[in-house]
Order: sequence, then structure tokens, then C-alpha cells
Amino acid sequence: MKKYMCLGCGFSYDEKLGLPDHGIAPGTKWEDIPDDWRCPDCGTKKSLFELVTIPY
Amino acid sequence: MSGTSFFILRSHERGYDKIMSQMLPSGAHAVPVHSTYLAGHPDASLIRHSSFNFHEYQNGIDGFGKIKVFGDEIFSPNGCGYNMHPHHNFIIMAFILQGTLTHINTAGKEGVVDMLKPGDYYIFSTGAGGKHSELNISPDESLHVIYVWLMPDKLYGTPSYLRSHFDPKTQPNKIVPLISNETSDALPVEQDFKVSRLASDNNKSYVYKPASKFHGMYFFVIEGALEIEKNNLEKRDSIGMHGFEEVNFHVKADKTDILILETIM
Repeated sequence: MKKYMCLGCGFSYDEKLGLPDHGIAPGTKWEDIPDDWRCPDCGTKKSLFELVTIPY
Repeated sequence: MSGTSFFILRSHERGYDKIMSQMLPSGAHAVPVHSTYLAGHPDASLIRHSSFNFHEYQNGIDGFGKIKVFGDEIFSPNGCGYNMHPHHNFIIMAFILQGTLTHINTAGKEGVVDMLKPGDYYIFSTGAGGKHSELNISPDESLHVIYVWLMPDKLYGTPSYLRSHFDPKTQPNKIVPLISNETSDALPVEQDFKVSRLASDNNKSYVYKPASKFHGMYFFVIEGALEIEKNNLEKRDSIGMHGFEEVNFHVKADKTDILILETIM
């Protein structure tokens, strides 16, 4: 499973789930999220998220 | 020995950041900007020397094994610190060198208000979500802490908070595990990771054996001096090593105090 993880606080983005509470529909690809988007928890820039692969 | 590698990070080569509770930008129409995450009166300042940190946040090295952050931070007195802020997943550790850390966090059913003194350390696994605030409420003493952030292998686990104490007087000249899954004397961690500390007299030799040569080691000199693999390290210098089955080192100053981190690479 792949998630994009915020290096500022650990928040993660899953393309399948999206972030409906923040206006991002389920299924939205990471590259389709605007570059000026920031972590909803801590404000870290999108460019400071890291792709993590977890074994489950 | 083949397949070994190491890097040395001198004290002055680490990332440096000074964060003020109230920033005064330059320019004719400058208006003070109040930091939302830094607590304390307007002059409160937090100084951070980072061995590892995040990309452009600082110019430190971008992680080592599962370690994402290694920083040496000084909080000014009178309430300086981090306001309540959220985390997920990261396993955050703090080792108190000087002063008192007031740590308020949301772990467990009721949360925790903890006060940590020199030698005390905590491990806060933020898992499915946790918040915390870390403050120096002393009226006159600065707080000096080493922070480590670790990436867990499993995301969104149950948050937990554990704390313990290292006393250099009762365990001198011995590499003491502080965080480890190998002994019940140390605090456990949900990662292939270990932290040890050594408070040593001058002129003593030691051998450190990682779990395997696939485990990296990071030696950070809190105080004193040592020679390791023909390299001399002094206060706040550090060395990251990888591919070694064991490492010999020699302490070259009285009251040498070192932290040894071991991580699967």
C-alpha cells in the first residue's frame, strides 16, 4: 500500500480515500493535487510529503 | 572490511535554525509576525541544531535508516516551547540534557502531563494520532533536549507514551540500552531500532556490536571526545556508519557522554 506522508507531522494521503473533508475527492491522484496545497494538520508544503510503501 | 561506509558530521556542519516567538521582518512597513507554533513571550527563542531533518527545512542530512530527525534543541526560559500540535505515525523521542521539559500529550485514556529532568527520556509513538505541547516553564534556566523522530513500519497503531531515566553515576563506563527490544531494562519500540548511552571516564576502550551489518550506527558526542575508526570526534560531532559487524572506539576525555543510535537501513 502506498501513501504520501507529511514529513512535518506524519499526516498521510491515500489516493483511494482522498480527503473529502478537505475538498479532495476519493481517487484523486497525488499529481492532480495543486502544488500550493498544504498539509491540513500542520501546513507543511506538498513538496515536503514523501511516498511511503507499507507492507499491509 | 569491505562494504562499509561512514560519514562524519562536525558540530558546525549541522543544520541551524533560530525560531523566535515573534519575528520582526525587515522593511519600512514591517509588522511583527507571531509564530503560531512557538509558545512563550515575544522574545522566546528556540535554537535547533539538526543532524537530520526534512529536506529544505534545514540543511542537515536527509535521514539515516529509519531516523528522520536528529536534533539538539535549546529552549529559552519563561514558557518557550511548542504549542499543542498534532502528529501521526512518527515515533518521537526526547532525551533531556539540561533544565526541565514540561510535556503535555494526548496518549492513553486521560493524556499525560509529564515533567522531565536531566537524564529522563520519553518515547511517544503517535500512531493513529496524538497531540502534544512541549514547554520550558522555568523562570531562569534554559532547556536542552535531543530529539529523535523515527519512521515506524506500521502506520496508524495505538498511540503510546513511555518514559524512563538514565543515571550516569550509577552506570558509568558501560554502554546502557535506553530504548531497545532486546532487554526489559530499556523502553520498547515498534521498529528495528535501538538507543544506547555511555557515560565514560577518560582513556577507556569499547566495542559496539550492531544486531547485524545491515544495521547502521550513529554515534553522537554529547560531551567529551572519542576516537572511532581512526576519526577523532569532539563535542556535538557525530558519525554515521553502515556495513560494520562491530566498531571499536576509544574515549579521549573525562566525562565523555555519547548517544548511540542503531537502525535497520
